[in-house]
Order: sequence, then C-alpha cells, then structure tokens
Amino acid sequence: MNLIFEISEKGKRCATIRTPDVKAAKINKKYLRAEKPELPEVSEVDFSRHYTALSRRAFGVDNGFYPLGSCTMKYNPKINEEVAALEGFTRIHPLQDVKTVQGALEVMDTLSCSLAEITGMDAVTLQPNAGAHGEYTGLLLIAAYHAARKDFKRTKVIVPDSAHGTNPASAVMAGFEIINVPSDEKKGVDLKALKAVVGDDTAALMLTNPTTLGLFEKNIKEISKIIHNAGGLLYYDGANLNAVMGVVRPGDMGFDVVHLNLHKTFSTPHGGGGPGSGPVGCKKELAQFLPNPRVEKTEKGYKFVNGAKSIGKVASFYGNFGVYVRALAYIVALGAEGIKAAAQHAVLNANYLKVNIEDLYPTEKGRHCMHEFVVSMQELKDKTGVSAMEIAKTMIDRGYHPPTMYFPLIIHEALMFEPTETENKRTLDEVIAALREIYEEAFKDPEYMKSAPHHAQIGRPDEVKAARQPVVRYVKQ
Amino acid sequence: MSDYLSTTERETREMLDKIGVKSIEELFEDIPADMKLKKLNLPEGKSQQETMEIMTALSKKNKVYDVILRGAGSYDHYIPSMVKNLSSRSEFITAYTPYQAEMSQGILQAIFEYQSMICNLTGMDVSNASVYNGANAAAEAMLMCCEKNRKTFVTFNNIRPDTLKVLNTYAHRRGITVKVIDAVKGVSDIASLKKELNDTSACVYIEQPNYFGLIEDAEEIGKAAHEAGAKFVMGCNPIALALLKSPAECGADIAVGDAQPLGLPMSFGGPYVGFMACTTKEMRKMPGRIVGETTDHDGNRAYVLTLQAREQHIRREKAFSNICSNQAYCALVASMYMSAMGPEGMAEVANACVSYAHYLAEGLESAGLKLKYRGDFFHEFVTECDKPADKIIKALDKAGILGGLKLSANEILWCATETLSKADIDRAVEVVRRVK
Amino acid sequence: MKILFRESHEWAAIEGKTAKIGISDHAQKELGDLVFINLPEVGAEVKAGDVLCDVESVKAVSDLYAPVSGKVIKVNEELESSPELINQDAMGAWICEIEVTDVPADLMDEAAYKDFIKG
Repeated sequence: MNLIFEISEKGKRCATIRTPDVKAAKINKKYLRAEKPELPEVSEVDFSRHYTALSRRAFGVDNGFYPLGSCTMKYNPKINEEVAALEGFTRIHPLQDVKTVQGALEVMDTLSCSLAEITGMDAVTLQPNAGAHGEYTGLLLIAAYHAARKDFKRTKVIVPDSAHGTNPASAVMAGFEIINVPSDEKKGVDLKALKAVVGDDTAALMLTNPTTLGLFEKNIKEISKIIHNAGGLLYYDGANLNAVMGVVRPGDMGFDVVHLNLHKTFSTPHGGGGPGSGPVGCKKELAQFLPNPRVEKTEKGYKFVNGAKSIGKVASFYGNFGVYVRALAYIVALGAEGIKAAAQHAVLNANYLKVNIEDLYPTEKGRHCMHEFVVSMQELKDKTGVSAMEIAKTMIDRGYHPPTMYFPLIIHEALMFEPTETENKRTLDEVIAALREIYEEAFKDPEYMKSAPHHAQIGRPDEVKAARQPVVRYVKQ
Repeated sequence: MSDYLSTTERETREMLDKIGVKSIEELFEDIPADMKLKKLNLPEGKSQQETMEIMTALSKKNKVYDVILRGAGSYDHYIPSMVKNLSSRSEFITAYTPYQAEMSQGILQAIFEYQSMICNLTGMDVSNASVYNGANAAAEAMLMCCEKNRKTFVTFNNIRPDTLKVLNTYAHRRGITVKVIDAVKGVSDIASLKKELNDTSACVYIEQPNYFGLIEDAEEIGKAAHEAGAKFVMGCNPIALALLKSPAECGADIAVGDAQPLGLPMSFGGPYVGFMACTTKEMRKMPGRIVGETTDHDGNRAYVLTLQAREQHIRREKAFSNICSNQAYCALVASMYMSAMGPEGMAEVANACVSYAHYLAEGLESAGLKLKYRGDFFHEFVTECDKPADKIIKALDKAGILGGLKLSANEILWCATETLSKADIDRAVEVVRRVK
Repeated sequence: MKILFRESHEWAAIEGKTAKIGISDHAQKELGDLVFINLPEVGAEVKAGDVLCDVESVKAVSDLYAPVSGKVIKVNEELESSPELINQDAMGAWICEIEVTDVPADLMDEAAYKDFIKG
C-alpha cells in the first residue's frame, strides 16, 4: 500500500483550527526555517482510509491468538480504555496544585499499594516507563543502597545465561560489570557456578522466576541464601509475574527489589511496542532511594514528597500516568481472588497446550510448566531442515501470531509459547490441531514451509538488504 | 467480580483431566508450600459497572480547567477528531512490537512514516521509532555522545528542570559530568560556553525554545560546540519546529524532544513520547528500534525492524542502551497529528501559539506584570512583579483558569496555545489586574 | 608473507613488521550475511587475544579477536559501506593492518587450521 506521503497532494487539508482573534505576532525572521517541513497533505477521507488500511495490516490481541512468550499478550479490557480517556484524567496538567489533582494522586497511591501487596514489597515507585527502565531504576536503588553503606567494592551484577537481554544491558547502564552464570542441566541456576562467582564484590543477582523457560526456580531459597550471605541483593525481573501473582510473592521468595510490567501482567495494551510502564518495588531498607517525587497519604489528603537520598528522577513528571489508570481499573475489577485466578488460568492454559503438543514439540520433561513453556525444534530441523522460524512463519499463514522465537538463547531452535489466561479452550484446541498438522507438513513438504508465509501481507522480507543499505525514511522520488 | 477469563468450569475440568492433575493447585507444586501466599490483602473484585463508577469518581476528584495558561513541558493543544478516532482502533492498541514483519506491516509502516515525519520536521537523516519521553531522549543522546575521553555533558540552567534531573540520574553511574552553565538574560551564552568547552566535552545540549520560552541562537551554540570537537544536541518543541529553523539548519548532530504537543493529552504527565533523530554518522549509536524499508522475496516493498545488532537483545551487556520498547502508540498518535494538520496546519497552530502568547504577555504587562526577559519568545514567557505569584495563581484558579507556573515568589512562567481565545485572555488579565 | 590462523577463526597475513588481519572463509560462512563491521580505531594498541572489533549479521553480533599483538595502523574503510566483501572473499577482505610486536606461538598455518576446523 501507499505511504501517506505518496497520497499527499499540495493544498489538501484535513484538520483545521480556529483563526486567532488577536493580532498576529511574528517571530524574528532570523530564527525561521527556510521551508515548511515536508509533512503529508491529505483530506479527511484520505486520512481515514489510510489509517484504517494500516490498522488492517496490524495484528493485535483482538485479532487472534497471540502466544508470544514472555510478553504476556493477555486481553486488554475495553473498560480500561474508556476510564483512561475520562476528561478528569486526560485533561489535567502535571504541574497543577496537588489539591486539584487528589484523584490522580489517589490512583497512583492505590496502585502503588496494590502492587506492593501483590509483590510483597514495602514501597513502590511507578515512575519507570517500561520494563527495561524499571530494571535500570531497580539497579540504581541497589547501587545507592551499597553506596550508602560505604560498601563501594560491590561492582558486579550476576545474570543467568537464560536472562532477557535487557538485564545485562540495564546493569551496564547502571554502572555495573556483568558476571554471567550458566544454567544447570535442569535449566535452573547452577548453584555451584553461582557459589563460585559470588563474593564481596557482588552487588546483586538478577533473576526471573518463573525463569525464562517457564519453570519455577525450585532452588530459590538456596539462591537467596547464597546471595544474601555474600552481602548482595536479589533482583526480581517481573516479566513472568503473571504465572504466580496471588500465589507466591517475590518478597516472600527473598527478593529485595522487583520491577513489574503493567503492560504484561496488568492488562494495559502494548500499543505496537509501547507505552508500557515498569513500576519498581523494594524492601524498606531501599525505600529511601526511590525516585522523586513519591506520593504520600496524609490526614489532609495526598501529597508529593521528595526524599533527600533519592536516586533522582528517571523520567519526566510521574511516568506514564494514563497506563496507571488502566492498571488500577484492572486490579479493581479483579480483586484479590481474580488476580489469583488469572495466574491459575494462565498456568492451566499453558499446561494444556503443552501436554497436547509435547510429543511433537519437545520441552522439559516430567514437570509442569508455569505460564509458558519453551520447545526445541532442533530434532525436527535435523530430520527435515525445517527450522523453528519456519514453523513460526507457517503459523502466520494460518492466522495465528507465532510464539517468541530463538529465546532464551540457551535452547536451540527455541519456540516459547505463552497463551495467557484470557485464551479460551476452543482456540487452544484449534491451535493444537494446527500445530500438529504443521509438524506433519514439515515432513511432507519441507520446501513449501521453508518459503512460508505464503498468504501473509508480504513474503519474507530481505533483512540483510535492510541492514546493509538502511532506508529509514521516505525520500521523495 | 470481573475476571476476563474465558473458560467454563466444565472446560477447566476437561483441561485438568487431559493434563492429568486433579486441581489447578497441583500445577504449582514446584513452589515451596511454606512460601505460598494465603490470600492477597486486596478488596474483592468488582463488576464492570462498579469499576466504571469507582474510576469515574476518582477522575472527578481532579479539577479540569476551562482555560489553561500553563505549559512547562506539558501543553494543552487541540486534538483533531480524526486523530482520536482512528488511533482508537484496537488493532493498533492491542498489537505488540512488530517482530513478525509478515503480519505487522501496518505497525511497521506507521513507524516508518513517523520516522520520516520526524526527519522532515527536524531536518535530520535518521529517526528512531521513539523513546519514553523528551527527558529520556535527552539522556539517551547524552549516552550516545560520551566517549572514553569525552565525558562532560555541557548545558545551561535554562533547560527544563525535569530533563536536567533525568540527565543527572543517567550521568551519575556512568562517570559523566553534567556541567550546567548560567544563562544570561535567560538565554544560553556563547562567551560562557566557550570558556567551559575543552577536549573533554562530549556535547552541548540546549532546548529550543528554552524553559523560559525564549528562542535560542542555536546556530552559534552549535558552531561553538563543533569548534571544541563536541557534538551538538538540541531539545525541541515539535510545534515550534513548524516555524523555527530545524535542528539540521542549526548544525545539530542529534535532535530530541517530547512529541506530547502533537496530539497527546496532558494526562498528568504521561504517557508522552520522546523523539530522537540524528545524522547518518551517528546512526549506529542511536538507541531504540528503527524501521527500515526493504523488499520481500517477490520484490514487493516491505518494512522490517532493522539495524537490530545495536540493540540489547543481541548485544546484551555491550549494547549502547538497555531500551527495548518504544512508545509506538504515542508515536502513531503524533504522526497522525502531523498528517491531519499537514505543514500548513502545523504552521497555523504554531502561529496561533505565538500570537496568543504575545497578546497574553501584553495584557499581563498592562495589568502590572513585567516580562523578565526581553528576548524573542515562542509560546511561553516569564513575568516578575511585586504581587505574590501565589496570589495571582489563586485568583485565576477561582475563576476556573489554570494560571502560569510559579517559578519563585514573584516569578511566573506562562504559556498560551491555540486553545485560547481573546475573551479567555482578557478575562485572565482582568483577574490578574484585580490582584492586590 | 605467511598467513597464520587463530582458533577463533581470524587470520593474520604477516609481511615484515606488519600484518593484515581478516576472518577465515569458514568463519564467514558460520556468521552468515554480514551487514556491518565496527572497524577498530587506528592507533589502538592491541594484545593478541583482545577483542579487536565486531561484526554484525542481521540477528547476531560477534567479536573478532586480535591474532597478533601490536598497533592498528590502517583500517579497510571500504568494508564500512560494503561488509559483504567479507562474505564474497574472506581471505581477500582485510579488516585492518597491525604493526606487529608479538606473534603468539599457538597460531596455525593453513594446513593445520584446515585440520582444526574439520575437527
């Protein structure tokens, strides 16, 4: 389809504004640009058709099954969008007197307190704008904690080899060095290897639990002991909290700092890649370092407070407020029981999908998975030449979004399925049948699969060309 | 209680049977029993109607002003109907990052169009798919510029306080020094800048217009930065860019800013969206997602996430930045705004801002306030006067007007946009005049 | 001139006091289509075994190690815009030139390297 620039015609107008009823003021010519920026010029009908066409070439949770592992593509309730669009939330200025935005501060405080309860933490900041931003913030808290104790030799953060790429990248941004620890044969943290690397230079261990393989880290108590005995802190990457919320709390597992993803666990929409929100919770020893400002509830109402020992600000104003409204609406609707039920059904759905395909799509044997599971297609690839990616592309032809591919890095030809709790059994049964057929197809017609997808918006894109000679903007021919 | 589940009890039973367990609890057997939680200490769930009532009641505890004379990083602009309507399509809202290009061409093309518009607005060669917000865009630009031997970030005390705070946070653990030079008459001063610059300076950062609303002589600042071998980074208001010299015309290496004024509501500070654009030379250091054009195997035009080897999921601890998501939805809204307005509409909005701001400034002067700085301004300006700022703002509040932002006991930062009218401003000025 | 290989698949073509550095054809095949190379800095002092620079394919980035010690005196700027030259002719596409101060004893000649990759 055309780019909006390609349907642009000079002189076409879409939105218009009222002509100012005061005399025109002019800016000194020396500051003015030579030419108006080249932006599209379209009529309203052109505009509406263009963006409708784009939306039809997008695939969201409302379009169909979206088992993208580690991304928790659960359904985004419509009421969340409606409440977030209320004028009392959208048309308030961030620098209004707090007396005039008590509702907004109450949203923030209620959400923070709810998240503290769900994670077993003592204090929560909502400020970080995304999961990775939360990691960064959490690591700054850890740095501040050690620095306040004058424990300056703690320069290293330990990261398992199965971790999300953001973990090591965030730790480096927070000024730490990275120590990678391998996984043991059960794909948990290798305790021997962990013991060998901890010491008085350990600032923290970053862990996802359930792990990125969708398995609960059974040795969590032992790991917590090893890290804490060495004087380090335990960081919880909340990417997989959806599996356990209401069932077990990171705080009770021994974690000191956590970040959450409101856009995964608390049903706020992903919006094609953001805005997200990555609140960070911590134990009381670290609370004084949380970003400024924090909301405090007093007898006279809510107010903002600034701590002297805070790590400072990590984002403009108070973070992605509109996302908080949605997340709070979700928590209000679900309540204590509903939150637990969400985790339970996320795990139920994942296990149901797993048992129905694991004879063909091999995964960790002899254990129930949590909210997701990772299969390795290495054997299929060896037999047929069809790779994990080609299975993914064939799923596209059948109208499903593929699972996460090639992650975690420690599994060869990995596909990671996370159906989430909002998926229904009928869809799961259809997907199971489809996956079983796709497996058979890999033997019958591997060549056809190797060029999949065949019925998608485009065939396989040439990514090498895109990266070698980057074309990253429209240039008029 | 709402639960958004879609499995009946009968189906749940069938699923458990198939898995071979008696209850859902059995699936959680890997979790040590003594660690498990008895029950969350949260209220019971609510019906949809109650949830709506609770959230609406919360929203009503906030005061919505008819007339807004406050900016300082969050701006009230008219949001076109077609932007609100088309951006609310659920395919846009409920999609994830477009990893699977074959079924995400709509999201990818929308980002490509956004990148193109940001490039055209700033004059730069390359834009990323957006970052969290303007302050974070400035911080990411700082990280892009700092090298082994150049680790001083130079700026002035006329940038947004929030941006400076975020810069300080990001600099602290990376061994970066943030040098803040005093502005002279509100603007960034070349002579003071030249004194500060040396071979450890990584970049010079200014905002256009600056926090006080003044238009900077950006070209001269850029020249001074480059003469010292430092990069030049500009933080820009995108509405102002419809009229002002583009960062490229001013010699910027990197242009950043917050695109909130482009169709995003104030929403108590977020979500907003940071834009980031740079010269081709800096492209490989730019953080965040970038969408590129290519072809599929049949030669059809196609869009993909590209230059991914820069990013954390591949480079891990060696990545330039940990940033992973962008603010795709907000970037979509911003690009819709630019399409709906077009170059003429954007210029009209910018001109209306300038005209109303100057009319407001004249009015306030007639009411006894004095402009603190005499330089050219866009849509914000600072006043000083003997009347206490608090009293002025309070009087306006009573009249349903959100007055300017108090900067000190007697100084106020005002803002005017196209949402105002002559009558609004006259009314506000009258209120200020009566303050004793 | 003699060409020596490192176990991590870089080659050094040593001639007098300088050596041109590249990666082997085997490495090129393993890495797949290269899309970018971060060339080393001219003037950088490297020790054998240090990370010299990295190369990018679409979905991976791989460090290249210095097979010899010395100072980088020249880089092949042509590769910056055409990294595919490495895929087309790995033994011809030199990445940089090093003024050699030390050649480790464990580098292999071509025959030994061929045996090595055969495993």
